[in-house]
Amino acid sequence: MKAFKHITANSVEEAIALIRTHNGKACLIAGGTDLLGVLKDEILPDYPAAVINIKTIPELDHIKKNNDGLKIGPLTKLADVVAHPLIKKRFSCLSQAAAAVATPEIRNMATLGGNLCQDTRCWYYRYPQHVGGRIMCHRKGKGPCQAVKGDNRYHAIMGAKVCFAVCPSDTAIALSALDAELEITGSQGVRNVSLNEFFTTLGNILKPDELLTNIQIPYPPKGAKQAFLKFTLRKPVDFAIASVASVITMQDGICKAARIVLGAVAPTPVRATDAEASIIGKAADGVVIEEAAEAAMAGAKPMRMNAYKVEITKTLIKRALLSIFQ
Amino acid sequence: MADRTDQRRDSIVLIVNDVTHEFGIGDHRYQVAACDTLAKTLRETLGLSGTKVGCNQGACGSCTVLLDGIPILSCMTLTVECDGKQITTIEGLQNKETGKLDEIQQAFIDHSAFQCGFCTPGIIMASRALLNKNPSPTETDIKDALSGHFCRCISHYQVVEALQTITEKKKK
Amino acid sequence: MKITKDYRFIGKATPRKDAAEIVTGKATYIEDVELPRMLHGKVLRSPYPHGLIKKIDTSRAENSRGVRAVLTYKNVPEWKTGTPRHVRVLDKKVKFVGDAVALVAAETEEMAMDALAHIEVEYEQLPAVYDVEQAIKSDAPQLYDEFPGNLMPLDVPVFGPRTLSSIVLGDVEKGFGASDFIAEGTGSYENIANPLPLEPPGVIAEWSGPNSLTVWSATQSASWHRFIMLSKMGFPDIRTISTQCGGSFGSKNYSAQPMFYAAALAKSTDRPVKVCFSKEEHFGAFVLRLGSRFRGKVGIKKDGTVMAVQGEWLVDTGAFSDMAQAQIAVGLGELQLMLKCANWDINTKLVCTNRNASGVVRGFGGQELESALIPILMQTLEQGNIDPVEFFKKNYVKPGQGYYWRDGNHWVSKSKDYTEAFERGAQTFGWAEKWKGWLKPSAVNNSKRVGVGVGVHGNADVGEDVSEAYVRLNPDATVTIHACVAESGMGQRSSLCKMVAETLKLPLERVNITPPDSLINPFDFGLVGSRGTYAVGSAVISAAEDAKEKLFKMAEDVLEAAPDDLDSEDGMVFVKGSPDKGVPWRSVIGLMHTCTGFGRFEPDYSVPNFIAMFVEVEVDVETGKLDLLRVVTATDVGQIIDPPSLAGQLHGSIGSAGIDTAIFEESVLDGNSGHMLNLNMMDYKWRSFAELPRFDNTILETPIQTHRYKAIGVGEVSTSPGPSAVFMAASNAVGKRLEGYPLTPDKILEALGKINL
Ligand SMILES: Cc1cc2nc3c(=O)[nH]c(=O)nc-3n(C[C@@H](O)[C@@H](O)[C@H](O)COP(=O)(O)OP(=O)(O)OC[C@H]3O[C@@H](n4cnc5c(N)ncnc54)[C@H](O)[C@@H]3O)c2cc1C
Ligand code: SF4
Ligand code: FES
Ligand code: FES
Repeated sequence: MKAFKHITANSVEEAIALIRTHNGKACLIAGGTDLLGVLKDEILPDYPAAVINIKTIPELDHIKKNNDGLKIGPLTKLADVVAHPLIKKRFSCLSQAAAAVATPEIRNMATLGGNLCQDTRCWYYRYPQHVGGRIMCHRKGKGPCQAVKGDNRYHAIMGAKVCFAVCPSDTAIALSALDAELEITGSQGVRNVSLNEFFTTLGNILKPDELLTNIQIPYPPKGAKQAFLKFTLRKPVDFAIASVASVITMQDGICKAARIVLGAVAPTPVRATDAEASIIGKAADGVVIEEAAEAAMAGAKPMRMNAYKVEITKTLIKRALLSIFQ
Repeated sequence: MADRTDQRRDSIVLIVNDVTHEFGIGDHRYQVAACDTLAKTLRETLGLSGTKVGCNQGACGSCTVLLDGIPILSCMTLTVECDGKQITTIEGLQNKETGKLDEIQQAFIDHSAFQCGFCTPGIIMASRALLNKNPSPTETDIKDALSGHFCRCISHYQVVEALQTITEKKKK
Repeated sequence: MKITKDYRFIGKATPRKDAAEIVTGKATYIEDVELPRMLHGKVLRSPYPHGLIKKIDTSRAENSRGVRAVLTYKNVPEWKTGTPRHVRVLDKKVKFVGDAVALVAAETEEMAMDALAHIEVEYEQLPAVYDVEQAIKSDAPQLYDEFPGNLMPLDVPVFGPRTLSSIVLGDVEKGFGASDFIAEGTGSYENIANPLPLEPPGVIAEWSGPNSLTVWSATQSASWHRFIMLSKMGFPDIRTISTQCGGSFGSKNYSAQPMFYAAALAKSTDRPVKVCFSKEEHFGAFVLRLGSRFRGKVGIKKDGTVMAVQGEWLVDTGAFSDMAQAQIAVGLGELQLMLKCANWDINTKLVCTNRNASGVVRGFGGQELESALIPILMQTLEQGNIDPVEFFKKNYVKPGQGYYWRDGNHWVSKSKDYTEAFERGAQTFGWAEKWKGWLKPSAVNNSKRVGVGVGVHGNADVGEDVSEAYVRLNPDATVTIHACVAESGMGQRSSLCKMVAETLKLPLERVNITPPDSLINPFDFGLVGSRGTYAVGSAVISAAEDAKEKLFKMAEDVLEAAPDDLDSEDGMVFVKGSPDKGVPWRSVIGLMHTCTGFGRFEPDYSVPNFIAMFVEVEVDVETGKLDLLRVVTATDVGQIIDPPSLAGQLHGSIGSAGIDTAIFEESVLDGNSGHMLNLNMMDYKWRSFAELPRFDNTILETPIQTHRYKAIGVGEVSTSPGPSAVFMAASNAVGKRLEGYPLTPDKILEALGKINL
């Protein structure tokens, strides 16, 4: 790895101050499982002068119950998210999503915050510098999106215009279905945004001097049922080809409320609002489920090589709903 | 020249296989640079080359070591962030006094649970962590715990068998 | 006839000789080797798939910290590799993204990397071509002046003047005329998968004089490495030493590129230089499988007799040919072993394209050819409603039947009949119950369809090439085998010790083998093909027998008995029947003497081995996902030497670009820019512990008379029938003819009509 300076931050304020003193030439490291890959392959033209360790900030690693639900610090390891009994019980789709990430060793290192903030996995974007040079593209600020004419088997099937890379984070999909809110702290103070507002087509809304400092998840309504399904070619290691998280409240056999969120289909997590609307107020049966899946994918515009993702996503939606309704 | 220091400290302490090492932070041969991975420090600075680097991308598990007892990937860990930590590598599994091999090492010998052997140190470390946490894992537990370990020769069947005999022996 | 029980070691599981080193992390692989004054070499690689270097300025790099040498095409030695020799160490022309442009040697890896960034290169970009059929069009970009039309010569005498490059026999028109079922089409096996040993390739080179080179490398064949590099490098005095090798599967037989780089840098710095590729380079600039496309026609009779095979085999070797001609020769031979047929007309074209080159990979031509051809063959069986197990049983070459092998000569099989092995395999698998006919699933559970398939593969390589060995009896009743055999996972070094311990009736721990070093060992072609047990084993055993004979001759006077009446056990020599009146070896050999025997194996292509592979897969028709549920292999090894090593070779059919090339393994090449897109172990798919199929090996032990312990190996054949068997199983599961490898969800959903690509 090319050289950088390493600095340990002991508090959020200090981390922010450190970023500022480095004028955008510094980056944060949490578990490092994503960042070190980015740095080793030198995929970006800019290389940081300093890496700021935030694992040493004590107040960012916790799972706490409060009146509104659960507060999870962004430095919480994915393994701890998976193992936490309350998350397993009341926020099962998050627990399942975290368990579906990568491999056991990575989950021992990777943090929830890092999972949300990780960089895209588009294979053009990630092409290593040392086998002929990195590939530039729209997302890197130079040239067109390479995936449009290239091999886009894993790219977006909806919601993309300039960059067709999909949101790689599994936990983001579950947290969106759980209606999580993120707390962001920067030199300008603290702001709270919903999970879906956090993601943008080219990444997230974090300003260079901002950190993710908390993840607040409200309790799902009483009786709500959850599901998280992820489709990959292989169980471990793989990023999602498609995923679905859903939180659905049923009352007397009728769907009262629904949040269905799709992963790996678009640059951001996608709430399938049409699908949600199509099932609310209805009793669950095969036809309703079928309609919901069709509604969710009605706006899909697959690229040359990824129409299969539309089919798979439909199937995942159906299976998620079926598992909840049964 | 690029800065390779750690602004907060000029040295770190690693406890590797129960031996304490103190390193200055910097660019010299016996120092640790800020950008050094734990795999590099173990292999090159400490000469503990039993830890293997297969992919250097976090995706094969061959560089697995125990950090405070938990299996992690040493190729995706910065050494400077391990200050004060206990690290166990494949070289640290044998009984120091008697030289007796760890039960997993012995079972791997008895079952020839390897072919080329490049993945073996990583697999043994992950297996050690598994058995420490769960002395009687099921076949599924074993396969899940090792699911991040690449073995191109396909020694998987013999590895699972070796680990199962350890747990069966214990049950008796 | 089972004789296993009479052996002390043969047929029994014994710990590998290097087991303790491996499990304690002490085994020394190439990255672990550090030499005094050693430098580190790194490679600057081309961003373009095709281009000419117009200007290259290395001055800044030369002045960069710690740099000791920078080499470009202008100042590298005039060595050449490739088949025929056409690949320079560095060239003015780059032919794939990742092709080497410049080399740097520096005090540390980091310094070498830093220096690479300071080399300034100007290129003239040239149009590139990636598809075999595009490449042979008249207006296609040309990779080499000397190979017009991008056609590589096939008349290279890799296996002598008659090296096989086509099969033209009988009269195919007549054959088709007499056929009941004919199918025609194109099959392609173009994953260009990576054998992907876990350890990336690496070499250390050091010149001890102007003409005297020592090379340490991760290779499976140290003396062949020397042999093959000699002519590539203008015959310097080369000594090759193999370190423990972290997997090879053919690919690291000789690592020509890293070896050239290390040797060139070592020459210009007069210091040892280590060149170890990163995983990304391993993916982007090291050995891939050949691309294989077969366009042709197969005709069979109702009873499954193959009447004619005709077609063109288009072989894509990427940027250069590295033994592709040899793979073509062997592949054509293997096809004839699988399919008896009187009328053939198969022509081959070997084509170069602008991608990272193919090289030697386990399967060596036959896997590539058969995986492409079998989908066409399957259609004739489907038309005739013929059970593929019956078909394969009928059509593989039996003892007394003939085939043209790689040398272009006709050979008659002296091997054994594998029919019983295949039948036992079918039984273990439950073929009779599971086979429901072509394009019919064997079970349906909601969206999941289960299907079965089978493949058979044969190879006459168990007796290929030369092996030599010395066996030295030491007075302290230990034995040293001198054979140039490396350890890359097969456990052969240990198995050879077992064979010698058995022959000399010595405890196994008393037998050891020299390090794989060409300086101290006689010639051995190495662990290629399935020759370890049969060819290398025979040489070592005959050296042991020779040594024993000499020992008995020496004991003649001591024991006052004729050599023929003597025996030896546990280091004692005695008259047969009176082991209690023996004398120790040291009294016979003398304390300051040793007694050495020599053995040689001469090639013999008349002993083909075969394997059948039965697979069961499950396809989810709603997602297109293909899962491997079960694998049963069936073969006959004559005599098992070491059960776990044998099991390992058979299990290995899943890895090393074998079975999984039908499921998810492939190298993804960007058709616009020529970049290999999945240069990492996330996007390149491999099988994990979490998804292991049930795996059973049905192994018969019908003695093979031409081997001292009646044994032959299976290392090479084990992977080859896998991909087409999975292809067959998946087609049957979904009830549709599928197309292409690997059968990823997109292909399956398309075949099911669920999406339009
Ligand atoms: C082999 C492999 C397989 C993988 N598979 C999956 C998968 O299946 N699913 C999946 O979701 N991910 C996968 N990943 C990505 C994995 O790296 C992330 O899941 C992981 O959670 C990242 O967390 P981290 O703590 O290691 O992040 P880091 O690498 O430390 O950080 C990632 C990025 O986030 C920023 N960051 C981290 N924390 C904060 C914060 N609090 N505030 C602001 N910015 C922050 C960092 O600056 C950095 O840019 C895989 C990775 C590998 C190597
Ligand atoms: S999808 Fe985005 S990241 Fe990938 S090439 Fe296009 S612009 Fe770049
Ligand atoms: S070397 Fe660390 S995971 Fe592969
Ligand atoms: S034994 Fe070779 S990679 Fe596992």
